[in-house]
Amino acid sequence: MTTQAQTNYSPSAQRTLTTGRLPRFIEVWVAVAAIAAGALVFAGFGHLDYVAGWLVLGAFLYLVAIGILASIVEGRRRATDRFVRSLVFVAFLLAIIPLVSTLWTVVSHGITTLTPQFIFNPEKAQFDRATSETKLVAGVWPAIVGTLVITGIAAVISIPIGLLAAVWLTEYALPGNPVRRIVTFLVDVMTGIPSIVAGLFAFALFTLLVGPGTFNGLSAAIALCVLMIPTMVRASEEMLKLVPLELREAAYALGVSKWRTIVKVVLRTSVAGLVTGGMLAVARVIGETAPIYIAAGYTRTAFNADPLHGAMSTLAVVSYRNYIDPDPTQPAVTQAEAWGSALILIIIVVILNLIARVVAARFAPKARR
Amino acid sequence: MTATPATAANGGGPQNTGAPTRLAAMKVSKVGDRVFLGLSTGAAWLIMVILAGVAIFLIIQAAPTIGANWLQNTALQDRTSGFTLGYANFWAYVSPLLFGTIWASFLALLLGAPVAIGIALFISHYAPRRAAGILGYLVDLLAAVPSVVFGLWGIVVIRPFLGPLNDFLNTNFGWIPLFGGSVAQGGSTLLAGAIVLAVMILPIITSISREIFLQTPSLHEEAALALGATRWEMIRLAVLPYARSGIISSVLLGLGRALGETMAIAMIVSPKLIFSFQLLTNDNPTTIAANIANQFGGANLTQANALIATGLLLFVVSFAVNFVARWVVGRASTGPRRRRIPTRKASR
Amino acid sequence: MKITRSGSIAAVALVGALALAGCSASTTSTTTSSAAPTSKVGLNAIDPSLTGTITAAGSSAQVAAQTGYSAAFSSVATGVTLNYNPEGSGGGRKDFIAGSLDFAGSDAPLSAAETTQAAATFPGGALDIPVYLDGVAIQYNEKDASTLNLSGSTLAKIFAGKITNWSDPAIATDNGGKALPSKKITVVTRSDSSGTMQNLTNYLAGAAGSDWPAGPNLGTLPQITGMDLQKGGAAVATEIAAVDGAIGGVDHSALTSGATVASVDGVKLTNAGIAEAMATGFAIKPNSTPGDLSGAFDYTKIKADTKAYPIPLLSYDIIPATFKDAAKKKLVLAYLEFIASTDGQKAGATKANSVQLPDSILKQVTATLATVK
Repeated sequence: MTTQAQTNYSPSAQRTLTTGRLPRFIEVWVAVAAIAAGALVFAGFGHLDYVAGWLVLGAFLYLVAIGILASIVEGRRRATDRFVRSLVFVAFLLAIIPLVSTLWTVVSHGITTLTPQFIFNPEKAQFDRATSETKLVAGVWPAIVGTLVITGIAAVISIPIGLLAAVWLTEYALPGNPVRRIVTFLVDVMTGIPSIVAGLFAFALFTLLVGPGTFNGLSAAIALCVLMIPTMVRASEEMLKLVPLELREAAYALGVSKWRTIVKVVLRTSVAGLVTGGMLAVARVIGETAPIYIAAGYTRTAFNADPLHGAMSTLAVVSYRNYIDPDPTQPAVTQAEAWGSALILIIIVVILNLIARVVAARFAPKARR
Repeated sequence: MTATPATAANGGGPQNTGAPTRLAAMKVSKVGDRVFLGLSTGAAWLIMVILAGVAIFLIIQAAPTIGANWLQNTALQDRTSGFTLGYANFWAYVSPLLFGTIWASFLALLLGAPVAIGIALFISHYAPRRAAGILGYLVDLLAAVPSVVFGLWGIVVIRPFLGPLNDFLNTNFGWIPLFGGSVAQGGSTLLAGAIVLAVMILPIITSISREIFLQTPSLHEEAALALGATRWEMIRLAVLPYARSGIISSVLLGLGRALGETMAIAMIVSPKLIFSFQLLTNDNPTTIAANIANQFGGANLTQANALIATGLLLFVVSFAVNFVARWVVGRASTGPRRRRIPTRKASR
Repeated sequence: MKITRSGSIAAVALVGALALAGCSASTTSTTTSSAAPTSKVGLNAIDPSLTGTITAAGSSAQVAAQTGYSAAFSSVATGVTLNYNPEGSGGGRKDFIAGSLDFAGSDAPLSAAETTQAAATFPGGALDIPVYLDGVAIQYNEKDASTLNLSGSTLAKIFAGKITNWSDPAIATDNGGKALPSKKITVVTRSDSSGTMQNLTNYLAGAAGSDWPAGPNLGTLPQITGMDLQKGGAAVATEIAAVDGAIGGVDHSALTSGATVASVDGVKLTNAGIAEAMATGFAIKPNSTPGDLSGAFDYTKIKADTKAYPIPLLSYDIIPATFKDAAKKKLVLAYLEFIASTDGQKAGATKANSVQLPDSILKQVTATLATVK
């Protein structure tokens, strides 16, 4: 269906349904050729080992080639379509490399550290009286607890506030209500608050209310709330808007009061989306480092599960500190803590996501597929 | 109370008027309704209070250093933590930081945003359905990767990876000011920082734009296809106009993250308080957020106030950027409106 | 594929380099003090019934030593925990003055203003107690120079950006007239403020005079074009090892195994050399608070001593002269008395790869601690 198409080619002719099409697997062939060309160019420069370089050049050549080929054979519209599709594919492939590489870097560095001893114990320092040597045994349990406590408090405060605000925005406030417009705008602004500013806010708040030098978990949780609330509002607002109006109308028609309609119908219908939104809000803040370090301080060995008194560590902060200040005599221990805590953080997020999915699946009403 | 059950945020439709309104108004008198209304209204007001609180507390802490003459302040001329040493006032100190913040965020958006939207389009409109679910999940997961990890990744992967590229660009394109200067052999360049920053904002932009793309009414898409549009034309005609304000929101969120990103820049880039557009040298402007992360620990009381003042400026900048962008979105979205097709559930 | 591979190679190199940090050739010699511990000092003097948490923060140079001190201390007094946050010296002093710490670790003694502020928080003010001794290594990466000697004024010119090439005649003069091949010098230093740079600039100001116009006591080096700034001491050491032609000041304890270290003023960096510099060059010059033990190095005296390594690094713990809480006082004083004992110094120096303070200083510390109310 393709060979004779090229003979019809005429630059000025309008393309019709009968215009030529490129062979089906042309994209694969062009891609192979482009990458090979990229490799050749790099070989010419004497940098054949720079694989990523010739892949990028190959991708670029591929886009150019497919664009030109398609516009010659298939006409402008189809060529644009093919070009955009190629562009999206290439963008995706190029972008997925760093993302996967990030995950892989953490997993490959962190996986060997994950022993029960490492996870469920604080870092231990064992002093040997005979040699005066202190041996560190890696452990990140205080940081795991600290992460869960701080993020937990932030979630307990932020998720209800965010959800209720979203309910107000979607269910109560009229579209023309000036307060509604202001709140919507401020939520948008708040989503853009840099996390370090939230940390400084908590620092300033506790400096002024409690006194300078106050480090505790609550302070960090408040910093995280500033970041979580807008995320939660936006996510739940989107979800509540998706609830079909007929469901509400049906409830009202049956004489159900408004708040019961919201709780039993609107929230119930959107529970899956809300749980996902909550999880995203948690995921957004659980890996924060600088604001938590500024607000909650850092404790290397001490176990502290009390958010009101004393410095608390989180996994991200432990990862950062141990990377910045490796132990001079046992750098392997601090390296293990740096990578291991980063990996545990990611694993916690995965677990939270899975829980969210299970919860969502259990509570969501049987919906049409 | 004049509450309507009508949700429709933008526009609404003819179905918003009529019986439900009156019914709802009647029911609102119940105690449960009052409590619930009070709670949700309170939550909405609380958001305003929090935002005001952020501004007020930062201003209180920052105020002593913003107007002051720094040269006459012994604490700010403290040599042992000498980062404020020799700066005449707040503006002299913060202007290179402000420049660096905007420049680095701009580069990150330039590199990251198109790719992020590309990925979102790929997941929503090009990838096979099952793969799309997995990819979407992967991207969501990456949104949770802590910034420290990106910092570590930047150091162990990106810096060495960019080494030969830096040399190549500098040798062959050194006449372009961006690639000029003398190459940082260790790789602590702003280019490395901007690339890591771009990767960091990918997940957040992607996951939001993807959600928006998926919400495009399928009727619009099908109508476009039925009229003989190619896939790209369908996207251009049906998806992008519908998603425009959502895309801008997601990019803004990415910008917010880029503006405020601390650790990645602090760990990767060799930071100086200078104005420079060069991407490949050790002389890079640094960002407000990274500078705070770098210097806060060593700061004395007054220097901490000065750093909070820079944070306040960052807050103002992010506020202003959002303000302007909202205004632009508001104008843009007077065109094609977002409208829900009630019969269709969002596919996830 | 390339990305991950090159990444893991770099990572392996990094981990490997750090893993071998303990084996630096220049750290093998030790200076054990001659005084034999009597029965009531050091580990034997610790009261096992002590309990509680000591909250401290500050210098990141001290963190490893504090790990050693506290591990040894808690091996006897098992109920005691030290919570040390290495946020930075300035932050430690700031939070200490605010009253939220039991002691601060700091690479610099309290400034005059801070002394006044501390006196407002604590009746009788606060005392600077020297606890931690180390040296600043001049690490370099120049393959053509297997050994390198640099004088104070050459170092000052390098760090000030006046000497920018390894072939500079000043470097040749310092090394018996043998010129190195031409190569650009990259100065690597810390982007955050640090005691390392402060002690280095003290030396440069003291030894190089007009060649170092920036003056002493600077937590961050003045920025020059091309200077490579890294976050944290370990990152500086790694960066110097990676960049051809690099040079920079690194904590002696943070040196990695392959690191090449320059001699300064003809003296190699050794533990003995650092201890010698402390013994000959350090003089206590207390501030206005009675009993304060802050002091300074006399770099002229150190230079005159051919066995003394000229860039020592001294770090302090800052405590209140009067405690409000008797239990806290007992705990903190017991801990600091232990640090000021030979056992304590040995525990810290072994953990941190640092140097023990000489007995003369430890005696003064013990005497001062006895006056704390």
